[in-house]
Amino acid sequence: MPDYALELREVSKSYDEFVAVDRLSLALPTGKVYGLLGPNGAGKTSSLRMMIGITMPDSGEVRVFNQRFHRDQLKRIAYLPEERGFYKRMKLAEHLVLLAELQGVPAHEALRRTTHWCERLELADWMQKKVEELSKGMQQKAQFIGSILHDPDLLILDEPFSGLDPANAVVLKDVLLELKKAGKTILFSTHRMDTVERLCDAICLVNHGRSVLEGDLRSIKARYGKNHVQMEYEGDGEFLQKSELVQSFNNYGNYVEVKLRAGADPQELLRSAVNRVRVSKFELMEPSLEEIFIDVVGKAQTCVTSA
Amino acid sequence: MRNIGLILRREYLERVRTKSFLISTILLPLFMFGMIFLPSKLAMMNSGGTKHIAVVSNDPEIANSVISQLHDGTRFGTKYNVDLVTDTSEEERAKLRDQVSSGQLDGFIWLTNDAIAARDVTYGERETSDFTENAGLQSAITDAIVKHELASRGVGSSDVDAILKEVHVNTVPIQKGKESGSVSGMEWLSSFLLAMMLYLTLIVYGMSVMRSVLEEKTSRVMEVMLACVTPKQLMAGKILGVGAAGLTQIAIWCGAAAIFGGGAAAASGAAPKLGISVMTIAALVPFFLAGFLLYSGLYAALGAMVNSEQEAQQWQFFVTMPLVVPVIMLTYVIRQPNAPVSMWMSLVPFFAPILMYVRVLVERPPVWQIALSVGLLLATMYGVLALCSRIYRVGILMYGKRPTLPEIVKWVRYS
Repeated sequence: MPDYALELREVSKSYDEFVAVDRLSLALPTGKVYGLLGPNGAGKTSSLRMMIGITMPDSGEVRVFNQRFHRDQLKRIAYLPEERGFYKRMKLAEHLVLLAELQGVPAHEALRRTTHWCERLELADWMQKKVEELSKGMQQKAQFIGSILHDPDLLILDEPFSGLDPANAVVLKDVLLELKKAGKTILFSTHRMDTVERLCDAICLVNHGRSVLEGDLRSIKARYGKNHVQMEYEGDGEFLQKSELVQSFNNYGNYVEVKLRAGADPQELLRSAVNRVRVSKFELMEPSLEEIFIDVVGKAQTCVTSA
Repeated sequence: MRNIGLILRREYLERVRTKSFLISTILLPLFMFGMIFLPSKLAMMNSGGTKHIAVVSNDPEIANSVISQLHDGTRFGTKYNVDLVTDTSEEERAKLRDQVSSGQLDGFIWLTNDAIAARDVTYGERETSDFTENAGLQSAITDAIVKHELASRGVGSSDVDAILKEVHVNTVPIQKGKESGSVSGMEWLSSFLLAMMLYLTLIVYGMSVMRSVLEEKTSRVMEVMLACVTPKQLMAGKILGVGAAGLTQIAIWCGAAAIFGGGAAAASGAAPKLGISVMTIAALVPFFLAGFLLYSGLYAALGAMVNSEQEAQQWQFFVTMPLVVPVIMLTYVIRQPNAPVSMWMSLVPFFAPILMYVRVLVERPPVWQIALSVGLLLATMYGVLALCSRIYRVGILMYGKRPTLPEIVKWVRYS
């Protein structure tokens, strides 16, 4: 039997008429980093809340560490909500110690870990300051520290990178990889594809509360095959619109990502391109996650509208 | 339990450490004393000075009798400088009116024979709002007329004074068949004062619970907390923490009353007269606790239902109203603690904390009434807390629009 740190089985949740999560299933192998993706309002936060028992699913089952979820397991789970939440008038160190103590860590140990993590995430100078004096980025880091002080085995993070500048994002990414190396399982939600591509082993793409794509990131990409071309060129890219080789393309400004029609020969596209513009880069590749995302979400939306 | 303790400690320290806690601990009793003693002090100060008035009468004998009453210093703080006018024509009245308007006179008393016969005397003055002066004049003129009438019926003047000697009524509480000292007006006053302090602490700390729930909601710290504690633990810890802060304040007042009250009593015997003993303040504790637990549950649910301070202000009236009713009833209950209305009102759980407390202060109600009132209060408290914790549990995670009544009912039914 596979070892899953977290598993959702056909989980549904609705608020009055609104269906937030619709028969969502996903499985998170122990020791992996998992990305929960989806457009705004897709049901990511609602799913996360059910994973830690803040809300209960209307139907379906949440399983944590291969058991049906129960509150005692929270001692092994970290939860980082999307919005920064603090008692603003408390001192940072006091606040973090309180959170650790609420998770069952003894007071002196709580202080030791707080100091350790504040130093690791460059907040040591701020420990005696009131939380309201911290910048948003610092609060985001502090929130993260507060969620992991009890040394959990499973981390559930809602948009952990939001509000962080690139330098701090790197610090956090390093910490996450460190934790992964230590055997922790990490799930985070985001809509930033670049982070997912760099960090995640597996993903689940949700839309309208439903899972539209789930599994190992590499096999998902392989499934789409190498029918994408990334191009950089100088000149008029109008030929792309007319070309019969091209199914669709997406102009990102600095480069263009082209999806080829089934059976089309990329060499032919290169030849026609060289005739019209100055090509400085031409790379045959798997589709980026962003392309897959737009492809899948777009299709789903078409489905919904046609239905 | 550990979690409730941790939350309790946080809430308690956050309140007790603030300056406003210290300030309100000192100012609230001062304010209450000020509210009661200042008006009477001010009224005393106001009544000094001299007034120049005219007494208009066909009968100089009655007029002189009235004038001598007006000069009786025990009845008035004001000194009267009185002219006697014997012309009772309408022209004279018009002239006097002009003099009062122009400030030559401060007022005139229209005391014609007709007016006396009708027992309907007019006092014309520029400012007529001073009801204590009016009451003084009324008794002075009544006395003068009664004296005059008695004299005219052949009663000697020394007999008249003996007949009119004022009767003083002492109210003496009887407990267990014994007269136990006299109840002074001060004692009633202090009961009122203590009940008002109970009311204020209930409101202040109840609202404090509401505001802190709301703050947790708006600052989104709620979600962080809910990852480690249950909503019930959070609500219990909060209510107990805020309640402990309230109790601390009452304990400080208790201690202060013990020190200052004891000292003052030894020095001048003034404190017992005031009727505030350590016991009466200590009796605040159980009533504060019961009332606070009842109302804080309501305030917590309200805080969980709304999304902003403004919204909370619109709705807190419905929670505060049942607290205001006993305050409106307070004077009546203090004066007639055993009247059926007082008894029934003090049994109603929402009014009981204040009204039963004040009844216990001014008299000793039968034990069964106290027991019944407290029993009902505890039962209601349990029900309200159970109900409110359900509303709280759902409400704290709801953002956006305010729930309608059917929605709240649905929240309560959520398992």
